Amino acid sequence: MKISKTEVEKLAKLAKLSFSDEELERFTAEFDEIIAFADTINQSIEGGTEQIRSVGARMVSFDDLRPDEVVPSLPNEKILSNVEGYNGFFGLERSKK
Amino acid sequence: MRTGISELAKRLQSREISAMELTKAYIGAIEKLNPTINAYVYLTFDTAMKAAEKADQRLKEGGAPLLCGIPMALKDNICTDGLNTTCCSKILKGFKPYYDATVWEKLKAHGAVLLGKTNMDEFAMGSTSETSCYGAPLNPRNTNYVTGGSSGGSAAAVCANLAVYSLGSDTGGSIRQPASFCGVVGLKPTYGAVSRYGLIAYGSSLDQIGPMTNSVKDAAIVFDAIKGGDRRDQTSVDYDYGSSLAECLDRDVKGMRIGVAEEFFDGINPEIKSKIEEAIKLFERNGAVIENIRLPALKLALPVYYIIACAEASSNLGRYDGIRYGYRTSSYTSIEDMIVKTRSEGFGDEVKRRIMLGTYVLSSGYYDAYYKKACLIREEINREFDAVFEKCDVLVAPTAPNTAFPLNYKGAGPVEMYLSDICTVPVNIAGVPAISVPCGEDSNGLPVGMQIIGKKFDEATVLQAAHFYEQSAGEVIGVYEGGARI
Amino acid sequence: MNYEIVCGIETHIELATKTKIFCGCTTEFGGEPNTHCCPVCTGQPGSLPILNQKVVEYAIKAGLALNCKINTKSHMDRKNYVYPDLPKAYQISQYDEPLCEKGYIELDSGKRIGITRIHIEEDAGKLVHENGYTYIDYNRSGVPLIEIVSEPDISSAEEAREYAEKLQLIMRYIGISDCKMQEGSMRCDVNLSLRKPGDSRFGVRTEIKNINSLSFIQKAVMAEAERQADILDAGGTVVQQTMRYDEATNSVSPMRDKENSDDYRYFPDPDILRFSINDEKVEEIRASLPELPFDKLKRYVNVLGLPEATARQIFRYRKVAEFFEGALAEGASVKNAANLIVGTIFSNMDTEEEKELFDIRISAAQFAALVKLADEKKINIGVAQSTLQKMLESGKPVEEFIKPEDLAGISDEELESLCKEAIDANPKAVADVRSGKDKAINVMFGYIMKKTGGKADIRKAEVLLRKLIGQ
Repeated sequence: MKISKTEVEKLAKLAKLSFSDEELERFTAEFDEIIAFADTINQSIEGGTEQIRSVGARMVSFDDLRPDEVVPSLPNEKILSNVEGYNGFFGLERSKK
Repeated sequence: MRTGISELAKRLQSREISAMELTKAYIGAIEKLNPTINAYVYLTFDTAMKAAEKADQRLKEGGAPLLCGIPMALKDNICTDGLNTTCCSKILKGFKPYYDATVWEKLKAHGAVLLGKTNMDEFAMGSTSETSCYGAPLNPRNTNYVTGGSSGGSAAAVCANLAVYSLGSDTGGSIRQPASFCGVVGLKPTYGAVSRYGLIAYGSSLDQIGPMTNSVKDAAIVFDAIKGGDRRDQTSVDYDYGSSLAECLDRDVKGMRIGVAEEFFDGINPEIKSKIEEAIKLFERNGAVIENIRLPALKLALPVYYIIACAEASSNLGRYDGIRYGYRTSSYTSIEDMIVKTRSEGFGDEVKRRIMLGTYVLSSGYYDAYYKKACLIREEINREFDAVFEKCDVLVAPTAPNTAFPLNYKGAGPVEMYLSDICTVPVNIAGVPAISVPCGEDSNGLPVGMQIIGKKFDEATVLQAAHFYEQSAGEVIGVYEGGARI
Repeated sequence: MNYEIVCGIETHIELATKTKIFCGCTTEFGGEPNTHCCPVCTGQPGSLPILNQKVVEYAIKAGLALNCKINTKSHMDRKNYVYPDLPKAYQISQYDEPLCEKGYIELDSGKRIGITRIHIEEDAGKLVHENGYTYIDYNRSGVPLIEIVSEPDISSAEEAREYAEKLQLIMRYIGISDCKMQEGSMRCDVNLSLRKPGDSRFGVRTEIKNINSLSFIQKAVMAEAERQADILDAGGTVVQQTMRYDEATNSVSPMRDKENSDDYRYFPDPDILRFSINDEKVEEIRASLPELPFDKLKRYVNVLGLPEATARQIFRYRKVAEFFEGALAEGASVKNAANLIVGTIFSNMDTEEEKELFDIRISAAQFAALVKLADEKKINIGVAQSTLQKMLESGKPVEEFIKPEDLAGISDEELESLCKEAIDANPKAVADVRSGKDKAINVMFGYIMKKTGGKADIRKAEVLLRKLIGQ
């Protein structure tokens, strides 16, 4: 076993997911297999310590960055169009039965 | 072969047929076939008819672009202002963005007519489209089989002639593999060739939007319309392709250096292998130079892909918390509880598995061994591709190690399904362009796809090689009879 | 106390750019809720961040002003945690390639407090908890911040305050932030541990979050150091935790944990390309920096010869210093210009903020014109002060209040006859002066000043008067 149920629970907490006991059982087994699969990268090619860069080696220069010019924001009705709004705020009850 | 975009455009422009008539024909076909095939998960017939009416106006005035008035479809992860965009996930049910993806903005400007949003694996995570919260689309060629995924609905819609063309997205093969399973053409452009703005992210460093069509020429026409840099996507590149790629397809393969890497053929279904070998012989007969090359790091591409894609996904999907849009659980004891319940109820199992894997490979103590290592190997894979393209103009490989799976095929578990992406993921890791074109049928009559892979921003050569093959090989698969009649 | 304080400060400063760090929305303070928003800063699916050039420029300015090394290659990372004020569930920040590193701030004592790093990141939205509901406003979401992390070089509450104060002053000076602690545009987190003098190991540290005034920094350090000392004296151990400073009770207490896990899973943001800044650009930004405040202070004292107390009052407000130097450039004298600013102009400004804004109705040139009259003794200081006050109130130049003929007016002969008049009119005062009550001469000064509207040269008058009285 690469991973224990406790570790899966810890990860779930980080990922903001919860599993029932039965789900957890099944998931841990599957996850074990998935990690073993991911682990195959560690069976070969010694990686160096070179720093990782975002999106390969492509870089931009300072001059390519966005100029600081205001673009009009969107109306509040649009911003809240996919949710119930509260006087212009996003919002929710802190608990709900 | 089915009527292509340029032929349709000619008829529209000559007013032999109107965009509204054409659109109605597609609507009729969708109404008839979609209940079975389930290619579309959201239909936009009203807006389609309005767009068609506007297109007719433009066509009457003359000088309209090729895509004006042509009915088409978008994958459900491409944002459309005011129209459902849900990634086929319960967690985004009913979500209507208030902005357009750049690709859709561009196509709209061309006068495109959107018929609806197509079915897909939830958040583009899957190889069969069966993880969709709306149920799987069926393969029009044999409804006992899957369409492939994740852009299964987009492939099925084009295959069944329920759209002239569609857009899909490809993170690890999600355009090419369903194109292969459904016997259509699917192009995954170079990373950065097409703006990702408005594409709901799965693996941001791998995701790319591309066309799914009935012919290579159609793919070139649609790619011409959607490509280009975008100030809203910093990873996009304003590459100068010179001219319209659709207009320079006619080139033979004399002297073209075609690379064949044995690593792409490991563990491939023998029927598929022989179809690809036939295609390679066709190229050779026509003067192409076949180079046998090696890509040793390819065997690591799959785990590297799953580690990087899932790491990015675990972060990209953190925002689905029930607060600003989408599904929210009905009862909870605290905001934290609301978030956990919303996510646990809103995401399907495959999405949860990938979020968990991504969380794991980024978490402290594992980052170096997994995520960082994967990034280093990614660089190694890139170097190998760079070296290979010193010697070759394109690579030819199978698109998938198998033809379409039967529906509900579970195999030995999630990992076996992951292994079926072996031929497509290296292309995303390297960020190079690749196309899948039909190159025959297996003994069950299911389509086989050939993949042609090119250098970064050399879509031209990829399309030329594919076009040459398509024109020379003739009808390698049966034509789907049905769908819209024009 | 038998312990040595080991303290470092992390400071978040909101940058005064026009737009947010990753979108074109305004950074303006306030506004109706969720009106300075777009798909990017509310984390809508499919939206992508585009880095603001000005943010990078401002962070480099900060780095140069704090003697940092500027990394010519840098990238953005994602810091993952879920909280309703963070719309993407990750904050775009910098982890292992910050823009600036290895700088320092020099305290008055000459001790240097090291700056470990400066990086750029985005602010979160604002939560309001009310009647069982939580409301969210994302207007602040995506406002650019720099985080300045100091080395644990601070060893007293006073040093902590001085560090923060100097940092605030420098940041305001270079114009990258207004650094208003009350409004949250500058926020400090203090890390603190104790150790026995001479011990090279660090003790267990705590972090006091979000301190919002300079004096609270000093008080919080004092309170936390005492709290830890009490624990250690009693043979206990300090628990590593996040604390909150309560100004009402002047005490430090553990904060309720909003995130029980701090595994942030940093990784490079794939949406934002790594960026480079070449040396010419860095030099260009360096050249755009004003003279830094503490260099200016030294110059005022050592070169201009201002008393340190006066120099300190002027240098700390960039606009005041500019006004002062503008007047000097127009030929005003150092002493009179400085005294009139501190004595008269500042008497119109009650708050630090007003001095910071220095919104006055006359130009440095107009001010210099007045100062020069005093310099040339054409008017005395009292008149200069009252005229300046009138100028400040009306926004009118000095000529409006003092006519050329008034200045030319009093010749030596006139002054002599005025002195005689003054003696004749005040026989008692003359007698008093003669009998040794020297102060009585002021009566005659008063007479002359009244007659001339204050324009007489009082020193000349004194000489004449004494001569005429026969002293």
